[in-house]
Amino acid sequence: MSLLTKNNNHVSTETPPRRAVVPRYEVQETADAFIVTAFVPGVDRSALETQVDGESLTVFARRTWTPPAEWTAVYRETPVADYRLVLELDHRINRDAVRAELNQGVLTLTLPKAEAVKPRRIEIKG
Amino acid sequence: MKIIRYQTSPLFSPAASYPTLRDEMDRLFDVAFPALSSLQRGGLFGDWQGEFPVDLYQDKDAFTLRAELPGFRKEDIGVEVTDGILTVTGHQKTETKSDQKDKEAATAVQERRVSRAVSLPENLALDKIQAAYENGVLSVTLPKREEVKPKQIAIEVK
Repeated sequence: MSLLTKNNNHVSTETPPRRAVVPRYEVQETADAFIVTAFVPGVDRSALETQVDGESLTVFARRTWTPPAEWTAVYRETPVADYRLVLELDHRINRDAVRAELNQGVLTLTLPKAEAVKPRRIEIKG
Repeated sequence: MKIIRYQTSPLFSPAASYPTLRDEMDRLFDVAFPALSSLQRGGLFGDWQGEFPVDLYQDKDAFTLRAELPGFRKEDIGVEVTDGILTVTGHQKTETKSDQKDKEAATAVQERRVSRAVSLPENLALDKIQAAYENGVLSVTLPKREEVKPKQIAIEVK
């Protein structure tokens, strides 16, 4: 599987056009799943969209917090941007069983492997 | 009000500014190639010492510092004010147990330590500082002292 980013520089034509950055993420492989962990600080559960569409998995996470109108920024380091992560899926992923979990700005996606690719022990008869 | 220096050390010296430039380059690379930088550090939760981005806002009553610290437990975050310097630290130890037979190899301990120091503006009500942690963002409210708040005085024109 190439869990590589795919077209992450996608320019959204939707309005309002707000910049989206690729979150810091990593992929780990276990015996029966791929685990994607991404840092999406500032995102509320309600602002998270995970979509499996054919070949790709798209995570779109919107930063929910906006400063109140009477606040002025004295100093800023965080980008004014949402998060978008697009991963390419191949036949090894069971698309119907993808799970997402969000906890204190850490998104964990569990992409279970399809039964067909799990190691199987074949008994020899006779 | 003091200007917040990017470097963690409140003391400036030319020698100390050199690694800061390097840190800054590292940070730029982290922004440009997030996947790569996490690999370099042995994973997102790997053993690394790091900084995290902070924002500072102000309104008429208070300053608010917001720091992006994803994936900590509340009790793993420390907020401290000493001599006009606000220090935010995060320290987390994660033990990952896998189902391997070999017990030594089965328990992997990962430690994540992050820290950031910010010099504070003067005239803050230090005893009224409050902090909250939500969605991986720490927000520290630093109320201004009464006497520095802008006051409106009605002057009667005779």
